[in-house]
Amino acid sequence: MSEHVQHVIRAFDEELNRLRTHVLEMGGLVESQIQAATDAYHTGEIKVVADIVAADKKVNDFEQMIDDECVQVIAKRQPAAFDLRLIMGVSKIVTNLERAGDEAKKIAKGARRLHERGQFMAPGDAIDVRHVASMAVTMLRQALDAFARMDTAAAVEVIRSDDDVDVGFKAIIRQLVTFMMEDPRTISGAMDVIWIARSVERIGDHATNIAEQVIYIAEGRDIRHPPKEKKA
Amino acid sequence: MPVSLVTAQAYLAASAALGLFLGWLVAPIAGWVVFSLALVGQLAYHLRHWFLIDRWSRAPSPAADLDGTGIWYEPFFRVYRHERELRREIGHLQGEVERFATAGQALNDGIVALDLTGRIEWCNRSAERYLGISRRTDLGQPIINLVRQPAFVAYLNAGDFAEPLRFRSDRNDGASLSIRVTDYGPDRQLIQVKDVTQAERLDQMRRDFVANVSHELRTPLTVLSGFLETLREMELTAEERSHYLALMTEQSDRMLRLVQDLLTLSSIESAPPPSEDQRVDAAALVNKLFQDAHALSAGRHDIRLESRGSGDLRGEESEIASALGNLVSNAVRYTPDGGRITLRWAIGPEGAEFAVEDSGIGIDPLHIPRLTERFYRVDRGRSRESGGTGLGLSIVKHALSRHQASLDIRSTPGQGSCFTARFPASRVMAADEVGSA
Repeated sequence: MSEHVQHVIRAFDEELNRLRTHVLEMGGLVESQIQAATDAYHTGEIKVVADIVAADKKVNDFEQMIDDECVQVIAKRQPAAFDLRLIMGVSKIVTNLERAGDEAKKIAKGARRLHERGQFMAPGDAIDVRHVASMAVTMLRQALDAFARMDTAAAVEVIRSDDDVDVGFKAIIRQLVTFMMEDPRTISGAMDVIWIARSVERIGDHATNIAEQVIYIAEGRDIRHPPKEKKA
Repeated sequence: MPVSLVTAQAYLAASAALGLFLGWLVAPIAGWVVFSLALVGQLAYHLRHWFLIDRWSRAPSPAADLDGTGIWYEPFFRVYRHERELRREIGHLQGEVERFATAGQALNDGIVALDLTGRIEWCNRSAERYLGISRRTDLGQPIINLVRQPAFVAYLNAGDFAEPLRFRSDRNDGASLSIRVTDYGPDRQLIQVKDVTQAERLDQMRRDFVANVSHELRTPLTVLSGFLETLREMELTAEERSHYLALMTEQSDRMLRLVQDLLTLSSIESAPPPSEDQRVDAAALVNKLFQDAHALSAGRHDIRLESRGSGDLRGEESEIASALGNLVSNAVRYTPDGGRITLRWAIGPEGAEFAVEDSGIGIDPLHIPRLTERFYRVDRGRSRESGGTGLGLSIVKHALSRHQASLDIRSTPGQGSCFTARFPASRVMAADEVGSA
């Protein structure tokens, strides 16, 4: 990329660029999977669930392919500094993406269970996971954008917004607990919704991990597990 | 041969001649001295000019003078002029390029230019907005790194651009985008992005409208033709006959109402804009609406009128009456018996407001943005049972927007709704103002 010194061997540059593009392509797939899954949950159109489950296979293939590419580059080029961090980061990002894709699959399957049973908590409408889900999808999108642009400021922003998703998740749980206490017949449905909300929350966490890797790649700083500061 | 060169040769010849003459007249050494001095002078002259052009050429600019004398005058001038013209041409071309770039920026469609490896070379503001890319950070970045939707990536990789691609953007509030890719220049591609959300919605609305009209007309028609068959083929008692005829009348009334509403809607749509100086007697209108509400309710509701301020409206009386009348009749129809309906009328120099507040069943916020769509019904069965055609609020919205008025809908399910029509100040006529009533 222009912001980093070009290598003498152009093929090396191309390999690294291809690696990045593959990661982002895989990311796009996962993004749209999550979007489709949450849409299916809200609209009740569960026909797409099969597609989402099928797309998960593609995501897995991507993960394997990219991991292979990483090993290849390391073996062939013995990269150092930024390039080495890029490859290490990529292999972690890919793992997180694959897990986010799994969560999307879980959301889709949960939606199918709920809608097939045809029973919801409140008459006529799904508990609104949309808000939190769109926050999580946005986080993932921004994390991938930050990776494409090697933009650490944006990555920091993503890490910060994870708290909002957590707050939204807790609010949903509280709401569901109220439902379940009022009417025990809603418990099985509520449990499904809890799993869906939980998956959404996990997607937010995966986005955070990706953002952390972006910072590591760009600056060589590992900001995972910061020492606990005084908690307000 | 240029004059300056002749002059230079003449100078050399003259100094040589002077040297020879002095050598012959005084002593040969004197001749050599004079000739050498003349050469040294010549050398100093040339060195000075070498120094000048050396300094100038380090930062050539028309702003710095480049003045030569004698033999150096013309070449200096030509170099200087060449530089000046080059600068002017570059400036001109730069202006041209900027003008084209500005024109590209001004386009409503998004434009992205890609190089042969699919990296972004240039894009305009609309493209930035539609695709979530940025000229500041993303030039040189492969476009599929940022626009990652699988549909887009597959389309670009497939390389078959005969048909435009339609996909939902995940950045621009889920806008529908239409993508066209054109090859230009050697191995370069131009992506055109168009926002087709509106067009798509319009298409959908047109399809829905036709389907809805057909459906709404077919239902009563089926009932009618069924009864007609019965009447013709079966022996019926007078009582049965009259019962069937009553049902048929009801159905034909429904069709009539529907056609009436359709005609109203189309006449409102095609009529010229309502006049600005026609007076609509607001007090009388509001009173009439109040009485109509009473008549329609037939004592089933507690109906009140609160009126504030004085003044009249400018516009087409029949349209305003039909808009506000629809709001009132909706309130009566959708409020259960014993409910309360309040009509509020306020007018002043800053505008006018007609609000209908009821304690009815209320509307889920989900439905509110779509209420004014034709044939949009929150609850199909209930609407038809109460004689609704599904066109009432479309008529209201249309008639109001022709008077630059807005319709504000607020509602809490189970508690009631408030429909407010707001007229701007330009549609208010003070009581003492003269207009053609």
